[in-house]
Amino acid sequence: MKPSSRWTPLILIAPALIIFVFIVLTPLIGTAGLSFTRWNGFGAPKFAGFDNYSRAFADLVFIKSFKNVAIYIVVTLFVEVLVGLVLAGILSSRVRTTVYRVALFVPVMLPMVVVSVLWRFIYNPDFGIINAVVRKLGAEEFSQVWLGDTKTALLSICFVSGWVYSGFYLAIFTAGLQRVPRDIIESAQLDGASDSKVFWKIKVPMIRSVREVSALLCITGGIQGFDLFYVMTGGGPYYTTEVPTTYMVRSVFRDQEIGYGSTLAILLTAIVLLVGLIFMRIRKKNEGSLEY
Amino acid sequence: MRDLLNIRNPRKTAIFHTVMVIYSLFYVTPLFWMIMSSFKSNGEIFQDPLGLPKTLDLSVFPKSFKAAMLDKLMINSLITTALSSTIILVSASMAAFAFSRLNFKGSKFYLGVLTIGLIVPIQSYFIAQNQLVELFHLKDTRIALILPYAGMGMALAVWLLKAYLDSMPKELFEAARVDGCGDIRMYFNIVLPVLRPGLATVAVFSVLSAWNEFLLAIIYIQREDLKTIPSGLLTFSQKYVTDYQMLFAALTIITIPMITVYIIFNRQVVSGLTEGSLK
Repeated sequence: MKPSSRWTPLILIAPALIIFVFIVLTPLIGTAGLSFTRWNGFGAPKFAGFDNYSRAFADLVFIKSFKNVAIYIVVTLFVEVLVGLVLAGILSSRVRTTVYRVALFVPVMLPMVVVSVLWRFIYNPDFGIINAVVRKLGAEEFSQVWLGDTKTALLSICFVSGWVYSGFYLAIFTAGLQRVPRDIIESAQLDGASDSKVFWKIKVPMIRSVREVSALLCITGGIQGFDLFYVMTGGGPYYTTEVPTTYMVRSVFRDQEIGYGSTLAILLTAIVLLVGLIFMRIRKKNEGSLEY
Repeated sequence: MRDLLNIRNPRKTAIFHTVMVIYSLFYVTPLFWMIMSSFKSNGEIFQDPLGLPKTLDLSVFPKSFKAAMLDKLMINSLITTALSSTIILVSASMAAFAFSRLNFKGSKFYLGVLTIGLIVPIQSYFIAQNQLVELFHLKDTRIALILPYAGMGMALAVWLLKAYLDSMPKELFEAARVDGCGDIRMYFNIVLPVLRPGLATVAVFSVLSAWNEFLLAIIYIQREDLKTIPSGLLTFSQKYVTDYQMLFAALTIITIPMITVYIIFNRQVVSGLTEGSLK
């Protein structure tokens, strides 16, 4: 449609565009620029070429933070996405399930900081629920300093993540499953297929795009993880829960290494973009097959 | 058909509900424990972590409310969230209208610029954004959070609202144009009314993400009376490290209103969040 005047389209897009360019795009370009400098926040940044980049590739803590986040992502793909999918399957073949759906979604909308502080108490070795239950069961030797032990800290955080987000993926998969046509399901049932067979052989294959989006959300969301790690363990013990974002914040705001922190930010961005690109490739390849 | 099967098999239904109730306890127990613990003294919390409180003494709540300055934190969160979400709703709906329905030079380019915001995470730009906020002397002001929250949510909001408008019949707009309706009047009289479900979706995720945002909140706001709930809670938990009853009470005060609002609007909240991420 032709605009009623030459200026109205520009007036309409101006607020959104100006805010975005000012507060997101300019800093994005700025961060990229800073990544090639050495700067402690005072005076002028000094040009450093690719120094920060070569330093990052040799930085053992940075590499470790990527290993940690990779473990976190793999585990959360199971405890968030897979659990959500299975729950959606179980609940979608039943009636009167609203109360469960409501209960399972509650943690999703709570602030991560609230969740983190609460779970720090739940994991508390002295009065936390987990150790209290372990002791009640008479298995004293399994009681742990969950967040303070290098063996359990990262997995304990993954578990909290599952507690928060499995309800979210349950809701996403439920929305996807509702789009699978009823007649296909009913004809399979008439042929004598069991509920679980209908779910794994018909419904799950048919919601491929929802599965892909969920995996992408879990992976890119995981790479950006911050709140849980920062509040629950602060990256410790011995860097076992250090993730790229917590390390970046420390480099910039505690060590005053703004240039180096920016380099880490740009590397993280590159990885997020790469994951997105791979994901789009996969989608393109699969285009045209039957799905809902 | 499903209902018939369920009626035919009451035993299976009973097993299903038993399993689901037990499973749901895993989600609910931490919250129930949090509420119960805020009624227990520190001594009770340590001696019998799983036990119920001996008395239901409510006096800890006003004490914790005051110590954590929850009134200030809540007002700050409310103002920050309301303003950033309003900015998103107004400017994104205007932009979505122009991108979806009006032909103008550079439309593809401008939309492309905005789309960058869909892809890059906050980590990509917060370091230089922090410098920008400092440069404009915005540290320790509410604008330091309102503007970034609005900017962060903008791209997704424009895309979602544009998708809504794209799915509308074009006659709706063209008929009005034939009747002499200009762009600005069309925005108020046609676009805003038909966009209502889309605006509700955008409102849900804008409000929740602003209300819960943490990273920028701890960087840009140091003054305690300007902090929002997440960063203020962290400060409180560092100050009262061992006063567990107070901390449990603060968590409870923050959580209960959120759960109440969620239970009332659960359908809108769930569909708002899922649509926001599926699109």
